[in-house]
Amino acid sequence: MIIYLKKIIFVFFIVLFVTIINSSIASAGAVLSDLENQLMCKCDDKCGKVLINCTCSTADKNRKKFTKMLESGLTVDQIVQQQIEKYGETVLSAPTKNGFNLTAWVIPFGAIMIGGIGIRKLINGWVGKNKPDIELQNIKGGIASEPGSEKPSEASSSKYSRRLKDELDRLET
Amino acid sequence: MNDIGEFTLMIALATSLYGTVAYVMAARGNRIDLYLSADKVPLITWACIMISSIALWKAFFTNDFSLQYVYAYSNIELDYFYKFSSFWGGQKGSLLFWALILTSYMMVVHIQNRSKNLIVVPYAMAVMLAITCFFLFLLNFSTNPFERIPLPPEDGRGLNPLLQNYWMVIHPPTLYLGYVGFTVPFAFAMAALISKNLDDAWIRLTRKWTVVSWFFLCMGNLFGASWAYVELGWGGYWAWDPVENAAFMPLIVATAYLHSVMIQEKKDMMKVWNMSLILLTFVMTIFGTFITRSGLIQSVHTFDEATLGYYFLGLLFFIIAVCTALIISRLPLLKSKNELDSFLSREAGFLFNNLLLLGIAFATFWGTIFPIISEAIRGVKITVGPPFYNQVNVPIGLALLALIGIGPIIAWRKATWSNLKKNFLKPLMFALIGGAILFPVVPLSNRSEIYTYIAFILCIFVLSSMLIEFYKGTMARYASSETYLGALGSLIWNNKRRYGGYTVHIGVVMIYAGIAASSSYGIHTEKRLKIGETIEIRDYMLRYEKLAAIQATSVKTRIIAQLAVEKDGKKIWTARPEKEFYKGQNQPVSEVDVRSTLASDLYVILADFSEDESATIKVYHNPMVKWLWTGGWIIALGTMVCAWPDRLEQRRRLERLKLQKIVFSPAQE
Repeated sequence: MIIYLKKIIFVFFIVLFVTIINSSIASAGAVLSDLENQLMCKCDDKCGKVLINCTCSTADKNRKKFTKMLESGLTVDQIVQQQIEKYGETVLSAPTKNGFNLTAWVIPFGAIMIGGIGIRKLINGWVGKNKPDIELQNIKGGIASEPGSEKPSEASSSKYSRRLKDELDRLET
Repeated sequence: MNDIGEFTLMIALATSLYGTVAYVMAARGNRIDLYLSADKVPLITWACIMISSIALWKAFFTNDFSLQYVYAYSNIELDYFYKFSSFWGGQKGSLLFWALILTSYMMVVHIQNRSKNLIVVPYAMAVMLAITCFFLFLLNFSTNPFERIPLPPEDGRGLNPLLQNYWMVIHPPTLYLGYVGFTVPFAFAMAALISKNLDDAWIRLTRKWTVVSWFFLCMGNLFGASWAYVELGWGGYWAWDPVENAAFMPLIVATAYLHSVMIQEKKDMMKVWNMSLILLTFVMTIFGTFITRSGLIQSVHTFDEATLGYYFLGLLFFIIAVCTALIISRLPLLKSKNELDSFLSREAGFLFNNLLLLGIAFATFWGTIFPIISEAIRGVKITVGPPFYNQVNVPIGLALLALIGIGPIIAWRKATWSNLKKNFLKPLMFALIGGAILFPVVPLSNRSEIYTYIAFILCIFVLSSMLIEFYKGTMARYASSETYLGALGSLIWNNKRRYGGYTVHIGVVMIYAGIAASSSYGIHTEKRLKIGETIEIRDYMLRYEKLAAIQATSVKTRIIAQLAVEKDGKKIWTARPEKEFYKGQNQPVSEVDVRSTLASDLYVILADFSEDESATIKVYHNPMVKWLWTGGWIIALGTMVCAWPDRLEQRRRLERLKLQKIVFSPAQE
């Protein structure tokens, strides 16, 4: 049952991931916003804001200029390229996804994956270490109680362990 | 008074230096005489800094422009309200303000603990005093707020118009209360390491400090967002500016600490991890200060005279080196007594919650420093702005949201199949039904909208799991209570930490929902209007009525546009966005007008105007922004419940320890 559930969840997330990756970022009406999102404001005050967030007069002028450029048939990529040629990479609001800049995008997810694997190994190690102890206790208990001892039956033992588990579940859940 | 202010700063430095040494010597040599002597230091230091602060405030209120700092951040026309807040408007005053809060906290810690735990407390006081010494050293020798101008000018330069907003009185102090507050748990953690008292005593002593500091930091971030929303006039509230990041990172790390510390309290585990997290939280607060004051990273928040970067960098490295050495040297003592029993347990949930929180903090840190790395390695300066943070942090944030729902309802130790079915079935059903209802309603045309849809489903899942917990608890108590409300009250009152925490989670869910909706479904429009013309957005129609100019003060002129807002043919509101022009300032300041409801905000900006009274009006329709601020107040309520004094807590703790002994001892033997 659990394996079946895991498979369903896995397939669900794969489908979701592919859907998200394939979805287009900008609709036709949001082309200017998309462009404004990709570029920084280059005013004399060095405000450090993304163009879409900036309200200074330089930003307003640039917006008008970009609107005209888009109306003249230039694409967002072409305008962005022009801006890079004029100001350098610093005009982009985010690192490009190639070359050295790719590390900016990959490293956070890489770190989380490594951390996740580490936690999984850690927990597996702990769980694995605890299991033999419990088994050993069961064996010891079995040997000690063999001749004439009052060893609880398997059914009653599992009944009590279920009850203990239930009570622990209820305790501070 | 200025001389007195300057003099008391010197006295404060000398006293705190003495106090640091005396506390350490008293603790090491078991010298009662030294301890009694050092015992007076917190009060003297606090009093000295308070006198200095009063002297600076007096200089602001009396327009004493002989002080360079007052000249730079005030003028005669400035409202008294803003003269008060100009105190922390610049670097010098903000450092004095930091020292004032730190010593005030130190006083409270001193009063709370003077007769308690004489092994740990002296070291904690020494650590706090040492940090105070650092700030006092800067204030005395590098950035003195009492620096004079030989020929005092008649008027000052005035406060930056962007800072002339009521949030200036609220946001920085709230943020500072949070930043500085983490000095207390950090100092106690260091004291525990130095004195080798590494049980959970230091955590219990500082738990409320941690909760309250976290609360202030959280509210400080929200207030900052609220300020940006009403003042910067771009329709948003968060721009991932390096200084915003600097306030966000300690909040995230502190959240991880607040959760993982529960495992140490309940299971005596993760001691090294908790030590590392509180160290990291404190380091992040210093890192934030370093960013603001170094000018190394371009930010809208950077102080004009950002000259102290190297001092803070030095402090940062010193703290990291000392703390790491201490933790390594105490590793055998920090070994956990217990271990996890299962992958499917609340403890494991906490570990993954920590992983994701630290993942977000790391991604933010990485993005903040990446321009420096790029410049150092490639020689190319690049910018890392909102698109990066949104693309990286949103998926991690969604996974975290799922864990917010899973964590509180999964069993401690080991979740059985029946436990999972019992606790998860209903929330999952609610989430799926909610998702199915929303599916035909919400747009799903781009990545952002798909993320928002997922966020809504997860919000329903978390909210339903929390509300079911409240419902179950209330119904269980209803038998012994007359009313449902009484049962709910008694449930919360007797389990403050648990249900206070759940309330905080509900607030967080509201914030998630608000961010998701406003960042995906927001639309805006812009139009040049003549008097009588209209602009439309969603169901609203805005009719431009008039443009007025008001000379507010001799340095400030307000240009106000008036628009009648109609919905379904009925007038529902009058919008009055304005532009403020300040003498001597190149850029005018936009004062937006917002009509805020739980469903959406109508956000109106006067973008431009001309002499023929035509004006460019920009209107944003931002859905569910109010959920953010409401979520903040719910977090405040939850934190208040969590931090409320609890007489039953000690008894519960003893019972838990007793139970732990019974339950865990056989497995360890």
